[in-house]
Amino acid sequence: MAKSFLEDKEICIVAYGETKIVRRGGRSAYEIAAEVAEQLYKKTKLGPSDIDGVTFTVPISECSNPFWSGYATEYLGISAKWLQTSDIGGASAIGNVTRAAMAIKSGLCETAMILGVDAPSTQWRAYYGSYRNEFWDPVGVQGPPGAFGLLMNRYEHQYELDFRGLGALAVAQRNGAIKNPNAYEKLRHKITIDDYINSRQISSPLRLLDSVMWADGGNGLVMMKTSRAKKLGLTNRVYPISYAEISNFDCANQTPDITATGHSVVGPKVLRDAKMKAKDIDMFHPYDDFLFAVMLKAEQCGFAKKGQGSQFLRDTDLGPKGTLPINTGGGQISCGQPGLAGGGINLTEAVRQLMGEGKGRQVPNARNAMVTGIGVIPYGRNWGSANAMVLVN
Amino acid sequence: MADTNVKPRPLPKPTPATQAFWDGAKKGKLMLQWDPTTKKYQFWPRANSVRTGKRNLQWKATSGKGELYSFTITHVPTPGFEARAPYVIGMIELDEGVRIIANLINIKIDDVEIGMRMKVAWEKLSDDITYFAFEPNKRAKSKPKK
Repeated sequence: MAKSFLEDKEICIVAYGETKIVRRGGRSAYEIAAEVAEQLYKKTKLGPSDIDGVTFTVPISECSNPFWSGYATEYLGISAKWLQTSDIGGASAIGNVTRAAMAIKSGLCETAMILGVDAPSTQWRAYYGSYRNEFWDPVGVQGPPGAFGLLMNRYEHQYELDFRGLGALAVAQRNGAIKNPNAYEKLRHKITIDDYINSRQISSPLRLLDSVMWADGGNGLVMMKTSRAKKLGLTNRVYPISYAEISNFDCANQTPDITATGHSVVGPKVLRDAKMKAKDIDMFHPYDDFLFAVMLKAEQCGFAKKGQGSQFLRDTDLGPKGTLPINTGGGQISCGQPGLAGGGINLTEAVRQLMGEGKGRQVPNARNAMVTGIGVIPYGRNWGSANAMVLVN
Repeated sequence: MADTNVKPRPLPKPTPATQAFWDGAKKGKLMLQWDPTTKKYQFWPRANSVRTGKRNLQWKATSGKGELYSFTITHVPTPGFEARAPYVIGMIELDEGVRIIANLINIKIDDVEIGMRMKVAWEKLSDDITYFAFEPNKRAKSKPKK
């Protein structure tokens, strides 16, 4: 395989769609998918009969359904030659862009829809097996916030953690959500660094404003060969040019440094494959379940020095016109996390910006973006799946 | 998050691969799986060695002693822990070279410190299940801070 099978720009994204994020909206994942698909048809002048490949992120609200892809595409009226539901959580969005690119490149399908739709605040259907029943739930760990509390405390023991840096990130992302009409309405108000510092402790040192809130919503993309997009007159194109993914980084090691994540591998790799350095990246759209994850990724993808992520966030202008714009639409932390479709929030914003449609929050002359994903919280570590992608316009 | 229906603390349901752990726990012994090929321990219990893939793990009773690697103070309790909140969850690095996540008991929140020596303690949850927790090992000196 070539260094990056994406680097020739043979495959492109031609449209994005996104619903508003709501809490307990009552709509199912299917109904949300219909809205995203309609937006995509409108932008591409295509219809259900033109789509022959579909990827999904497994929705929490449908994850007890063993035939989700079939039901969902039947609902949409799509006869598909290739279906894939990915279950690498928030890593699924850019993971699915790559999987769709592979399917298109290999001729399995021609026009792919990449969908993330979920309604966990309306219908929660998650069940976790493996060690959870015996070695996690009876311990009383407060889920992902508990795992991140352990991670943050260890980091603070090894390095310096300036919470005002995390607060600066909270404020920057919130400013993005205020300018993003798709963000959950109740989060579209200003906050200050002090609001972050004073927000209540959940699993200390992790606070409420470190964290995402479950919500309902969806997002999607249409992808095809660049040659086909040109024939169809689809002129606003975004190209994924490098991608890397790792699940269960260093997992046989029973006493790892838990502050080292898979992004220390995939971040540098996607930059190398894109023939770029971190300073060449115009904007960073990292998956944000917790602010601290963004901070660690800023270090491990090469934007900040090791152990100095919080100082970097504190001292850098993270807004759309700043030195390193981060999650300019608010990210999931300030938009709400539409279940496992959440990874698409970061990706959709990157694509929107690269298409020049950021409106009041447009990053001037944005030519490229790095997007990252995170999936699943493993036992006593950081995160299970880590991936990264560089996109250009 | 505030649930008015108080649910009990969840009880583990042992499987053939984990039964020996719970049998040991009932007798106050912390049993760990040991890999005879690499001569190393692993946690949490499962059917295979994470290093070789072989299903030849052996169970050994261990010291139950180790050092606190990290901790978090849980302010929002999970089901069954309402009466305990706020409570401390610790990640303990056992002397056998594995880490285990557990409740820290018999310690004041303000006294918890990364690097402190800990030993296993037991909480009886039912006739079948005795669950592990950790408490300070006051007889041991903490290692000097790195």
